[in-house]
Amino acid sequence: MHLRPKSLDEAMAFLSEERAVVMAGGTDLYPAFVDRPPPARILDITAISGLRGIVREADHWRIGGATTWTDIARASLPPAFHALKAAAREIGSLQIQNRATIAGNLCNASPAADSVPPLLALDASVELASASGTRTLPLADFIKGNRRTEKRPDELLTAVLIPGIAEQARSVFLKLGARRYLVISIVMVAANILRTADGRIAHARVAVGSASAVATRLANLEAALASAPAHTPAGSVVAEAHLAPLAPIDDVRASGAYRRDAALTLVRRALAEADGDA
Amino acid sequence: MTDITVKVNGRDVSAAVEDRTLLVDFLRESLKLTGTHIGCDTSQCGACVVHVDGVAVKSCTMLAVQAAGAEVVTIEGLSKDGELHPMQQAFHENHGLQCGFCTPGMIMTAIDMVRRLGGNLDEATIRHELEGNICRCTGYHNIVRSIEAGAAAMGR
Repeated sequence: MHLRPKSLDEAMAFLSEERAVVMAGGTDLYPAFVDRPPPARILDITAISGLRGIVREADHWRIGGATTWTDIARASLPPAFHALKAAAREIGSLQIQNRATIAGNLCNASPAADSVPPLLALDASVELASASGTRTLPLADFIKGNRRTEKRPDELLTAVLIPGIAEQARSVFLKLGARRYLVISIVMVAANILRTADGRIAHARVAVGSASAVATRLANLEAALASAPAHTPAGSVVAEAHLAPLAPIDDVRASGAYRRDAALTLVRRALAEADGDA
Repeated sequence: MTDITVKVNGRDVSAAVEDRTLLVDFLRESLKLTGTHIGCDTSQCGACVVHVDGVAVKSCTMLAVQAAGAEVVTIEGLSKDGELHPMQQAFHENHGLQCGFCTPGMIMTAIDMVRRLGGNLDEATIRHELEGNICRCTGYHNIVRSIEAGAAAMGR
C-alpha cells in the first residue's frame, strides 16, 4: 500500500493508527527491494506541502524534512553552512541528490551518513511531529546508534533547526573514500571555526563521521581550540587523545586502525583549511 | 494497485500500477520503452536516468506511483520528426560508446548538464558531472568528447 497524503495532519493521523515505512526521496529504500519484498505500507511524504525548503526564522534556520540535497547545495546560506553544502554534493550522485532528502539521511541513521558531521558542527536539532504534539531534540541525542533513532513510529521528522550563531564561521567538510565519486565514506570530518578580530578562536566545532556507530563531536578538541593562544594555527592544536570519543571498526571499507589514522589527518587538514591554509 | 496518469514523452498515459513498481519497470514493462536500461538495480550506475519534471533522476529510485501527475522524458522522447537530438547526434558522430548499455543514461545526464550549466563545458566539468553514470567498458574518453560536442550543438 502506497499512501501519499497532501497534508501533515493527514500523515500524522494515519501514523497514529497504523505502522508504515516513511519514505521521502526513497533512495535508501529502493536498493533494499532488490532481494526482498517491499514494505507492506509506505507513507510517502513528498506531496505534503510545506515540508520542503529553507527559511530563516527569528533566531534559527529551518530546513524542511523533505528538502533535497540539490536544494541545499544551491541555497544561498551563510559561510557556516559550507560544510553542509559540500556534504550535499557528496551524497550519492547528482541524480540521487535531486531526490534524496535531509530527513531521509538522518532517519536512515547510517554511521556513514555524510550530512551528520556538518549538522553536528552547526548545533542542529530535529523537529519531530506526531498527532500528540511536536518535540525538538538535539541531533546528537536523536541518532542512537547504527540505524537507530529516537523517532517513534508515529512521528515524522518535519524539520532540521539550526541556531543562527557563528554564521560567519569558516566551515570545511572533508571526506575520504576509496575513490573520488559515488562512494561510501571511510571517514569524514566537518569543522567550523570563527576567530575574533584579535585572532583567538571564539567558536570551534569539530565532528567526525564513519569512525563510530554515531558521528560525534570532539568536545575536548573544541575546548582546546577555544583556549588556544591568539593566532595559534588550529591544526596544530590537534592531539591523538582528542580522538578518544571515536570507536572505529574494521569493515569492508577500511580497518579500524586505518580509520583512526585517517581521522587524525583529516581533522588536522580540515582545521588548517578552516584557517585558510589550503 | 493505484491508477496514475503520467505524461511520458509528451503523451498522457493512464495506467493501473502496483504500488511497489519502480518507475523504470513501469517504463520498460508497461510502456515498452526499453531504451531506459537497468544496470545495477541499486541506484548507482545511472543507466536508468530519465528526466522527471525537467530534472535528471535515476528511475530506479522512484516508484511509478510517485510519478503521478509528473512529466517524464526518456531517451525515446528526444528525437523530433525523425531527427536525432543534438546530443544523440554528437554521441553518434564521436562514437561515444563501446557496448552502448550506459548510453541512454549518459545522454539524459548530458542534456540535464547542458540545461543547468550551458553549452560551453570543459572536460573537467563534464567528468565531474558524470559522477552518477558508470561506463563499464570505461569508454569515457569518447563520451566526454561527445558531450563537449553535443553541448556546443545544443548551445547553437
